[in-house]
Amino acid sequence: MIDIDSFSFTYPGMDTPALHDISLRIESGEAVLVRGASGSGKSTFLYCLNGLIPHVFAGVSLGSVRLNGFAPPEVPLREIARTVGTVFQNPESQIFMMRVEDDVAFGCENLLLPREEVICRRDEALRSMDLWDLRRRETFKLSGGQKQRLAISSVYAMGPQIFLFDEPTTDLDGKGRQEFTKIIRNLKDKGKTIVLVEHQYEDYLPLMDRIITLENGRIVNNSTAMSSPMTAKKTTAAPAGTAISLKEICFGYDREKNILDNIDVTIQRGEVVALKGNNGSGKTTLLKIFGGLLRPFQGEITILGVPRPTLESLVSHVGFLFQNPDEQLFAQTVAEEVAFGPSRIGKKAEVERYLDIAGLKAHSRLHPQTLSRGQRQILAVVSIMAMEPEILILDEPTTGLDRRSWHELFSLLYDYANGRGTVIFSTHNEHAASAAGRRITLDNGRIISDEVSG
Amino acid sequence: MKYLDKETFLHRLDPRSKIILGFMGAILIVVLRAPIALSLLFLTVLAAFGYLRPARRTVWTMIILMATALCFTMISQGFFYALEPRTTILTILTPDSGMLGSITGGIALYQEGIIYGALQSLRLFSAMLLSGVIVMSTYPSDLLLGMGGLGVPERIGFVVTVSIRFLPTLMDEAGRILLAQKLRGLDVKGVRGGFRAFRYLLPPLIIDSLRNARRIALAAEVRAFTGKRTKVRELRFSLRDWAVLGFSAVGMIILILYQGGLS
Repeated sequence: MIDIDSFSFTYPGMDTPALHDISLRIESGEAVLVRGASGSGKSTFLYCLNGLIPHVFAGVSLGSVRLNGFAPPEVPLREIARTVGTVFQNPESQIFMMRVEDDVAFGCENLLLPREEVICRRDEALRSMDLWDLRRRETFKLSGGQKQRLAISSVYAMGPQIFLFDEPTTDLDGKGRQEFTKIIRNLKDKGKTIVLVEHQYEDYLPLMDRIITLENGRIVNNSTAMSSPMTAKKTTAAPAGTAISLKEICFGYDREKNILDNIDVTIQRGEVVALKGNNGSGKTTLLKIFGGLLRPFQGEITILGVPRPTLESLVSHVGFLFQNPDEQLFAQTVAEEVAFGPSRIGKKAEVERYLDIAGLKAHSRLHPQTLSRGQRQILAVVSIMAMEPEILILDEPTTGLDRRSWHELFSLLYDYANGRGTVIFSTHNEHAASAAGRRITLDNGRIISDEVSG
Repeated sequence: MKYLDKETFLHRLDPRSKIILGFMGAILIVVLRAPIALSLLFLTVLAAFGYLRPARRTVWTMIILMATALCFTMISQGFFYALEPRTTILTILTPDSGMLGSITGGIALYQEGIIYGALQSLRLFSAMLLSGVIVMSTYPSDLLLGMGGLGVPERIGFVVTVSIRFLPTLMDEAGRILLAQKLRGLDVKGVRGGFRAFRYLLPPLIIDSLRNARRIALAAEVRAFTGKRTKVRELRFSLRDWAVLGFSAVGMIILILYQGGLS
């Protein structure tokens, strides 16, 4: 049971509290969804429950938080961890060991349980989380969904009653999200209390008992109504010639297994295309072929009228954005970042204009890495747009963005497409895909559907 | 050279035995002088290396490395060998041949020098192969566990384990950053291009690593990490270990004591 009574928390050096007068009671076995925009206090809320506040993050708090009869500030983290388990967004940074079974044992080992008990709990967790067959696998070879399952198993083995999830499926594809739904159901059946923070929560709504909405650190009560779905401005630009055409394309990293199998597709200038499919369906590989980063070993490819172009010849015509924006921001200031690409390919950089489009004018002298996650993503996108490529390719651009940043991103992309640019992006999110004028779905390296909305 | 996921006799040895064997090897490498004794040591280690059946690429790398090292040490030692007696094979400059001769004291290739160079190479190769055998046959975290068992502080062991765990992640990330640079038009060709790429590689790599480190630290905190832990992986010293260590110790003593008789 979680019992919060008029609780407020302020980070050091901040004028406004991150959490403001929160009163809330969550019963044992209840599943609660917490939603809200970035910066609304969702993570801070979880930190107060798992003891990271005040044990790791100091600050001023008022009111009280009690979990199963104890107050987190009065108990060391090691003890809190017996009652509260936390799973974070990025599975990569929650795995400590090289082998799956060692990692599942990690938490129990820290609890200083006897060796036999650790082994017993580890094996139970491996079985009930469906990781038994992977137990000897090296952790870095797992897929994203498997990694997150491993992180949850490691927490599960510690035997907590309360599970906190901080955007656990943001980095996962449809399959990973399905897996997560199963895990939630499993935990609910075992009578665990679940607090889930997630931006893209639609899949989990049927499993939730209650929805709490946070806004600027306050609970905005009982808003069980769904927020409005994406309102996309669909492109109206008439097709203006072929941007990319692929004929009977096959590709594989080794000759035995084809990642892409006989792909035939033509993309017109001015189109906005969403590429859907699970991890391993070949989305990213196909994007790389579109961008000329990979060369198919069979079939014909024509990009902007040039058959089989080289990567060097495409740099100023095709912009490519990888998943993690942080790996694509090199410069010292936001303005320099926007100017980086254009100046390398001998174009005049319209820095002011693009900063304006991105809404980052006020931040132009800041270091790119000091921006928020959503802003960094937008900056990475405009830094590539500033090179004025004819084709813009983005791999999972909506990952980790809240709804507001999402709308900003899409209005950017549509403005760009209306100016006769072609946009192709991959996504495993239905809502993001529905914003595109054309949706291509991949499964096992084949196109299984290609729909154009009117 | 990295860990080979196999089930050989060497894999089944306790990591502590392998570390001790490593030390014994190191002592022999330093102490042994007789060519035959050193060759015996080298052949033993080579046999162990071959027994693990490493990948063809590893073997070729080793052969190329060893051949290059052998040539260099033999030639350099051959010219600069200073101990008497020495037998001259080839004279390039005599001591009385003008300025250069009197400054250098003459330049010549000496037979003893070449032999000495070959022996030095044998030492180097034995050390290389021995560390290779240990790395290939011991699961990395077990190696650390073994060091822990022999008195290395646990916290340091843990830090090293986690760092090794994150190496592949870091390499992937660096690869993606380099590609992103190329796509933004950065010229990365040649030495200067390489420097340029490096300059723009470090900031995102470091900042992202720091962000990651923070996330890892939080994840460790909520998993009750304090440094003290139960150990599920237990080290077990079996009869096999005692036998191998005993046998090696006897071999080592015999080699050291009787190496004079072998030369």
